[in-house]
Amino acid sequence: MKSSAALLLLMLGVTCGRGDAQTTPLPPPYAGAYQPQGVDEIGLWREDDESERQLAVSNLVVRDEKLTAYVKQVLCDTVGEDRCKSVRVYIVREPTFNATMSPNGTMRVFSGLFLRVHSEAELAAVLGHEFGHFEQRHSLADFKSLRSGTDVLAWTAVLVNLAASYNTRRVYRDVELSVYGHLYRYNRDQEREADRLGIAYLNKSRLRPQAASLVWQNIMAEVEVSARHRGLKKPNFNVIAFTATHPPHGERANYLSVLALPEGADRDSGADRYRAMLAPWIPLFLEDQVRLNDFGGSEYLIEALAQAGWTAGLWFARGELYRNRGNQRDLVQAADFYARAIEIESGMADAHRGLGLSLMKTGRPSDGQKALQAYLDLKPGASDANMIRMMLPKEVTGP
Amino acid sequence: MIWLAIVASVSAAVTAPAAAQERSAVKQGFELAAKSNKKILLFRPAVRVGAQSTGGLFEPNAEWTEQAKANIEAALHQFQESLGNEVVAAPEAYGDDARNLHEHMALFAAVSQSVIEYQFFVGNRLPTKKRDNKTQVFDWSLGKGVAGLPGAADADYGLFIYNRDAYGSTGRKVLQVFAAMGGVSVTSGEHVGYAGLVDLKTGELLWLNADAAMGGDVREKDGSEKRVRQLLEDFPGSDIPKAVAE
Repeated sequence: MKSSAALLLLMLGVTCGRGDAQTTPLPPPYAGAYQPQGVDEIGLWREDDESERQLAVSNLVVRDEKLTAYVKQVLCDTVGEDRCKSVRVYIVREPTFNATMSPNGTMRVFSGLFLRVHSEAELAAVLGHEFGHFEQRHSLADFKSLRSGTDVLAWTAVLVNLAASYNTRRVYRDVELSVYGHLYRYNRDQEREADRLGIAYLNKSRLRPQAASLVWQNIMAEVEVSARHRGLKKPNFNVIAFTATHPPHGERANYLSVLALPEGADRDSGADRYRAMLAPWIPLFLEDQVRLNDFGGSEYLIEALAQAGWTAGLWFARGELYRNRGNQRDLVQAADFYARAIEIESGMADAHRGLGLSLMKTGRPSDGQKALQAYLDLKPGASDANMIRMMLPKEVTGP
Repeated sequence: MIWLAIVASVSAAVTAPAAAQERSAVKQGFELAAKSNKKILLFRPAVRVGAQSTGGLFEPNAEWTEQAKANIEAALHQFQESLGNEVVAAPEAYGDDARNLHEHMALFAAVSQSVIEYQFFVGNRLPTKKRDNKTQVFDWSLGKGVAGLPGAADADYGLFIYNRDAYGSTGRKVLQVFAAMGGVSVTSGEHVGYAGLVDLKTGELLWLNADAAMGGDVREKDGSEKRVRQLLEDFPGSDIPKAVAE
């Protein structure tokens, strides 16, 4: 009861602060390279160092110096050159919307993030948030709260067993619920703090701080489309589930837009630079996204990316998405999308393949075979070349 | 996310005591004669030492881990002679080599865990391994890729060592006493170790020794010696005397 009242107050506090830029706390002054202190923190860092050592040689890391340097530069532009020196950035090929930062300064940026932010400013909002966790040393605090929570539970379990009765068991259940509830709420409060720090960095940077709220608005739109395609009802973006580790999207979008410096609205968001840098990577990241089997979400992302203009890669990804779902109506659409990709880039071998396979299944085998032949001509050494050849008429296959 | 696992471990720790478990196996037909001048490549041992909180959480301790690493290394060096063959540390790897090594370390961990889970101890059995268990066949492999590991060309066998220790904190021990009064079993501390020998030409797992309740305090010199002796006592071709069971 007390906790929900406190939460209510917090939310009220955020809404009351509307239009008052003074509510944004400035980042604390930078104190130089931090070294861990105390048994717990030194221990956590050692574990983290070990895990970074493994990450550095992991096959999941996208090893592209240019892209990694670019992401690092966006982080530096956001939090300042001195602060960002303590960070190593790794881009992890993982098609979900996430980035993490661990105690020793390892930043993992998931490739799925790049499909969901559309400018340097939006990327900066996410990176700044993660850096906020790092600067406030949230992992350590989290570990300590978790330890005290589980300590209490262990003692309660033992004491309840000493005097086992119906009532004491009920007491145990109550304690259990309040400890778990506390741990989740604590996590959400940390996220709010990181959000406030992230937006404070952004306010001080050269980038447009209004982008932070935009990130969450886009995520809500994606989640909504994804739910609709799966026949689920519209998600409620303001309700806090018991086990929610983060504040609800709606709340975040709200307070981030309130905390963004109004004068910053005229600043550059770096959308063009971002698009140019990411252009060669979008097809690969989209390929991973399409495989997630989230039709609505993927369709939303492709269309969002296409707002800056349809490219061959985007048409191709859309074709793949439809062909993978594979209803007859999807295949007809997919053929259309592949054809558009080929219109823009006639040498795109995989688009010819997709076009051919889609046409073969929708009653146009002769056109399909032509497309498949074009695929083989463009990519004679393809791994599936022999299989594709089996679909071609004998006289075309040669000796 | 992390703490869901921990919550599970709390409830498990309060209800079920872990039985002391040790087992080792050698691939049928494999014999490593002492003084046969074989070269054994030792991959960087994975060592984690920490405390166990009252609730059963692993609390990493950097100082203990560093001590344990140094101690175990010294003990390995000392036992090298008794192993009957030459043990050399694997060279530092870079670039693609490092990635390949990382993949194989992870693969070894996964395969050993499977052996431990599905063949060594009663309970879980993989349907494909049921017959092997009855006829005492030990047939596991990491694949021929091990031949490409850095340093593998000049060696015959690869040795992997894993250690994880969590020493019961004072809080945990007090809890244990109170729990015993209530008739509940709470374990304090966790000492898991396993070591394995792999044929660097074929990738076959030749020998594996796993112990879910190891002795020896790795934070101390003597303890580490005892630990390494326990890990390697069944090592093919070794003449390390068996530790007296306590």
